[in-house]
Amino acid sequence: MRSGKVLAYIRKIHLLRWILGLCLVFLLMLPLLNSFAVDDDLVTGSLLFSLTQMFMLVTLASNWNLISGFTGYVDFGHITFFGLGAYATGILMSRAGWTFFPTLIAGAGLAAIFAVLIGRATMHLKGPYFSIAMLGTFTALRELVRLARPFTGGGPGLTLPPYLNRPLFYYITLFQAVVVIAFIWWIRRTEFGATLVAIREDEIGAETRGINTTLHKVVAFSLAALSSGIVGGLWAYQNTFIDPDIVFLDSRTIEIAMMTMLGGLGTVAGPAIGAMLIYWLRDILWANFLQYHLIMEGILLIIVVLFVPQGIMGTLGDHSGTTMRRLWRRWFGAAESEMDNKS
Amino acid sequence: MDQFLQALINGVALGGFYAAMVLGFSIIWGVMGVINLAHGEFLMIGAYLAWIMNRYFHWEPFATLIVVLPVMFMLGYLLQRLLINRVVERPPLISLLVTYALSIVFANILKLFFTGTPRSVDTVIAGFWRLGNVTIPVVKTSILVISILMVLTLALFLEYTRLGKSIRAAAQNRNAARMVGIEISSVYAITFAICIALTGGAGVLITPIQPIFPFMGQPFTLKAFAITTMSGLGNIWGALLGSLVLGLLEVYVATYIPGVGTNLGIVVSYVILVLVLIIRPQGLFGGLKPVEQT
Repeated sequence: MRSGKVLAYIRKIHLLRWILGLCLVFLLMLPLLNSFAVDDDLVTGSLLFSLTQMFMLVTLASNWNLISGFTGYVDFGHITFFGLGAYATGILMSRAGWTFFPTLIAGAGLAAIFAVLIGRATMHLKGPYFSIAMLGTFTALRELVRLARPFTGGGPGLTLPPYLNRPLFYYITLFQAVVVIAFIWWIRRTEFGATLVAIREDEIGAETRGINTTLHKVVAFSLAALSSGIVGGLWAYQNTFIDPDIVFLDSRTIEIAMMTMLGGLGTVAGPAIGAMLIYWLRDILWANFLQYHLIMEGILLIIVVLFVPQGIMGTLGDHSGTTMRRLWRRWFGAAESEMDNKS
Repeated sequence: MDQFLQALINGVALGGFYAAMVLGFSIIWGVMGVINLAHGEFLMIGAYLAWIMNRYFHWEPFATLIVVLPVMFMLGYLLQRLLINRVVERPPLISLLVTYALSIVFANILKLFFTGTPRSVDTVIAGFWRLGNVTIPVVKTSILVISILMVLTLALFLEYTRLGKSIRAAAQNRNAARMVGIEISSVYAITFAICIALTGGAGVLITPIQPIFPFMGQPFTLKAFAITTMSGLGNIWGALLGSLVLGLLEVYVATYIPGVGTNLGIVVSYVILVLVLIIRPQGLFGGLKPVEQT
């Protein structure tokens, strides 16, 4: 059975669209359920909290996909922008006494401006050079935040004014996730999105056609940074405490990379699906094997990269042979035939 | 003046250590085009092996090299055979993700076994020589000497032995090497094993002067990357020079800019990295061209 055909059929009857719409309505109603229900504990605060976290990860993974999936520039420092947003919010709220929403805009702006500056320098670099330059940005910024203690609170961190309103965060993050996915869906259909994919497939070819590739890359990069800056601000305010190690967390980079890889690099819905799956899986791992969860996640990433490099959406949408046959070929044919035949 | 000389000596010692640290990274990249993001973690594993033997069997840290080098060689060989050979000829993204995932797995496995507590080793090598107002610590000198010895051995091996020549041939042109009968996958496996052994050895060397903890690896990966971009891929003499430059810069920055401590080293290496990449993408001293990545 051809999975590509099945997917095409599902598309044809618009089933997917209805399911998506119903899910969205359900998610919108979720915080209100308590007021209707007889049972007061139907929707607990912790459920809303973990869904909020999940929406943030969906947004981050989609942002990462915009730069790494579409243009093929693997960004190992995307959490830099998350961190900038978090620290802008933290510093402005706890030291300058701003209210929340202006700081959110300031954080997003700071992240976008920084992305333009750093992108102009690093976006000239090809492939792995870019990846490591961004990993360097990330590590260097973490050390700078730790050193600039009078300003950022340094190692001991900053405490933000506490504010406990779970439905509010829930709605903001849900809204952002929906907007980002819709935006990426739309971008994929514009000339801009086609250009980004062209850069991934053949950058020199795209340049030869007269496309200003650097401009396109920097714009995509700063859009992703802007959105991640907002997520950072929200995260900082919800968490009410930030320090360099929990904001600039190494494992967050691998998590969003893994979510995107699992869902399908360069697809629109892939990062969101991957983020939800991994978040659910991580909850199980966390609850049952707290000590091992990062080890398991790393091994899972290796397995995904080796066996299903196109991810869930990429594999379903691929039309060359059945999924199982391709998986079989990929693994058992890989080691020998690729080493011997490929030029 | 004394401060300047002292910093010079410390910088040279640090640079010598960096040379031993960076070569494994540089050769793996130059020969098979894989950027090993788990480089710092291999160094960390070597350091932990030394610590275990020091803590439980009371070996001198430097003496553990005779055990650590073969063990790391085996680990590298197995990893290459089981995992890396499968991704060598895939797009660079794949090997980047695989080695990055490996680094997380290694760091967390060791954290599971040894907790996050920073460890240190006991050594009888102590004291320093005095030259006017400048002191030369014996430990750092020993590290420098052993590093240089390891680097020289590797250079001679690559230059004169048959295996070394086939490694260089595989680096220059994979297909031509295949045509003259070099079995690429085993050459790769041995290259990887040698490089991992060297990196583990560098991890042993650093145990007397730095605390050992599971997450010590990443700064080393970044520094290795900075030095390699500075010096060109797989270029041993360039790597020596680049290591010296980074070592000296780091020590001078820590000496003359007050109140920043040595954590700024990572920022220094990042700034160098970006500057070099922008000004001279092929490295300061030439070297191997990167393996063609399609």
